[in-house]
Amino acid sequence: MIIYLKKIIFVFFIVLFVTIINSSMASAGAVLSDLENQLMCKCDDKCGKVLINCTCSTADKNRKKFTKMLESGLTVDQIVQQQIEKYGETVLSAPTKNGFNLTAWVIPFGAIMIGGIGLRKLINGWVGKNKPDIELQNIEGDVASESGSEKPSEASSSKYSRRLKDELDRLET
Amino acid sequence: MNDIGEFTLMVALATSLYGTVAYVMAARGNRIDLYLSADKAPLITWACIVISSIALWKAFFTNDFSLQYVYAYSNIELDYFYKFSSFWGGQKGSLLFWALILTSYMMVVHIQNRSKNLIVVPYAMAVMLAITCFFLFLLNFSTNPFERIPLPPEDGRGLNPLLQNYWMVIHPPTLYLGYVGFTVPFAFAMAALISRNLDDAWIRLTRKWTVVSWFFLCMGNLFGASWAYVELGWGGYWAWDPVENAAFMPLIVATAYLHSVMIQEKKDMMKVWNMSLILLTFVMTIFGTFITRSGLIQSVHTFDEATLGYYFLGLLFFIIAVCTALIISRLPLLKSKNELDSFLSREAGFLFNNLLLLGIAFATFWGTIFPIISEAIRGVKITVGPPFYNQVNVPIGLALLALIGIGPIIAWRKATWSNLRKNFLKPVMFALIGGAILFPVLPLSNRSEIYTYIAFILCIFVLSSMLIEFYKGTMARYASSETYLGALGSLIWNNKRRYGGYTVHIGVVMIYAGIAGSSSYGIHTEKRLKIGETIEIRDYMLRYEKLAAIQATSVKTRIIAQLAVEKDGKKIWTARPEKEFYKGQNQPVSEVDVRSTLASDLYVILADFSEDESATIKVYHNPMVKWLWTGGWIIALGTMVCAWPDRLEQRRRLERLKLQKIVFSPAQE
Repeated sequence: MIIYLKKIIFVFFIVLFVTIINSSMASAGAVLSDLENQLMCKCDDKCGKVLINCTCSTADKNRKKFTKMLESGLTVDQIVQQQIEKYGETVLSAPTKNGFNLTAWVIPFGAIMIGGIGLRKLINGWVGKNKPDIELQNIEGDVASESGSEKPSEASSSKYSRRLKDELDRLET
Repeated sequence: MNDIGEFTLMVALATSLYGTVAYVMAARGNRIDLYLSADKAPLITWACIVISSIALWKAFFTNDFSLQYVYAYSNIELDYFYKFSSFWGGQKGSLLFWALILTSYMMVVHIQNRSKNLIVVPYAMAVMLAITCFFLFLLNFSTNPFERIPLPPEDGRGLNPLLQNYWMVIHPPTLYLGYVGFTVPFAFAMAALISRNLDDAWIRLTRKWTVVSWFFLCMGNLFGASWAYVELGWGGYWAWDPVENAAFMPLIVATAYLHSVMIQEKKDMMKVWNMSLILLTFVMTIFGTFITRSGLIQSVHTFDEATLGYYFLGLLFFIIAVCTALIISRLPLLKSKNELDSFLSREAGFLFNNLLLLGIAFATFWGTIFPIISEAIRGVKITVGPPFYNQVNVPIGLALLALIGIGPIIAWRKATWSNLRKNFLKPVMFALIGGAILFPVLPLSNRSEIYTYIAFILCIFVLSSMLIEFYKGTMARYASSETYLGALGSLIWNNKRRYGGYTVHIGVVMIYAGIAGSSSYGIHTEKRLKIGETIEIRDYMLRYEKLAAIQATSVKTRIIAQLAVEKDGKKIWTARPEKEFYKGQNQPVSEVDVRSTLASDLYVILADFSEDESATIKVYHNPMVKWLWTGGWIIALGTMVCAWPDRLEQRRRLERLKLQKIVFSPAQE
């Protein structure tokens, strides 16, 4: 049953992941907001804010300029490209997803995946070290053979360890 | 008074240096006379720093512009309220404020542990005094707040207008209380390593310090978000600015530590891991200070005269090197049993919670330093802003949210099928029903909206799992109690740590829901209006009534727009957004006006105006922002319950240890 549950959880997370990845391909919302989100404010004060978050006069001027550019038929990508040519890559609010910049995007997820695999292995190792059910049965068996009585049945042994676990679960926290 | 303030800073440095050396020598040489002498150092250091702080505050309140720091951050017209907060408005004062909090905490530790825990406490005091020495060294020799101006000017330059907001009086001290608070568990961890006293005593001694520091750090972040929301005037509260990240990272690592430490307390496992986490938490607090004071990264929050980068970088490397060497040298003593019964257990849940929390911290750290890496490798400085953090941290955050729901209801040791069915069936059902109800209501046209939909489903799952836990516990006690409320009260009172923790989780869920709702479904509009014209957003209509100019002080002019807000033809509110002009400042400051309800915020900004009284009004409709602040207060309530003194806790711990010994010892041998 546990294996069955693990499979369900695994499938659930795969579906969730695919949904999220697919949704990243979905169309963008408001065009100006999208543009403002992609660019940094380049005011003289070097405020370091994304254009959409900036309220300075330079940001206001740029907003008006971009609105006119969008109305003239330029696309967001074209305006972004123009800005890169003018200010360099630093005008973008996030690293591009190619070349060296790709490492910015990949490394955090890579680190979590490697950490997850390592943790899984670590836990498996720790679980392998501790087999209380078997050891408990062995002890009970040893006690029974020492006292000359019959070895308790597997059913009664698992019944007691289940009860012990239930009681500990209730005791926890 | 300024001379006294400067002199006491020097005395404090000398005393803290003496205290550090004397404590270590007393502990190593078992010399009681030296210990008794060293034990006076915390009090003297603290008293000296209190006198210095009073001297600086006095200079602010008496407009003593002979001090360069007072001249730079105050003026005659400044309100007394802000003269008080100007103390930490700049680098010099903020370092003195840090030293004041640190030595005040040290005094509390000193009083709490007088004649107790004599093996660990001297080393812990030595570590705290050594850190105090570092700050006092900077204050005396690099960035002295009592630096004089030979010819004092008549008036000061004044405090940055953005800092003249009530949140700026509350937010920095709260954040500092959190940052500095982690020095105490760090000091005790180091003391445990140095003294080789590596059972869980240091964890128990500092548990409340950890909880309280975590609380302050959490509230400091939330207060900072509140300040950004009402003061920066862009309709949002979090911009993933490097300095915001610097306050966020220690909070996340500390959260991982708070959870993993429970496994050590319960199962005596993960000693090395917990040591590393408290070290990392402390390092992150210093890293945050380094970012604001190095001038390395541009941010709205960095100090103007950010010149102390190398000192803090040196401190960072020193701490990391010493702590790593200590942990490696004590590895044999830190060896734990490290046994788990099952992959499906609460212990494993905690481990994955740690992985995700550290994943978020790492992604944030990586994004913060990536511009420097890029410049070093490619010679091209790039920017890493909100789009990066939102795309990377949101999926990890959602997985973490799922674990917040799973963790508390999965069994310790080993979850059986019946346990999983019993505990998970109802929360999962509630989540699915909630998801089905929300599906036709919520738009799902882009990634952000899909994330939000998933977040809402997970929030329902976590919230229902928490509430079911409260319900089950209350019903079990109801038989012996007269009322449901009495049963609930008794349940929480007798299990403060558990149900306080659940309450904190409920607050966190509210914050998640607030972030999800406000980041996806917020809309805004902007219009140039003449008197009498209207602007509409959602169900609201705002009628522009008038524009007024008020000369508030000799240095501040307020331009206020008045708008009547109507909903369904009824006037419900009058919005008064304003722009404030300060003498000598290039940019005016927007003072937004917000009508906040649990459903949504109506956020009104006066973006621009002209002499003909026409004005550009920007209006944001931000759903569920109030959930964030409400979540913060619920976290405060939960933390208070967790940190409340509990006489039963020690008894329960002893009983559990006894029982574990009786039940498990034969099997483990």
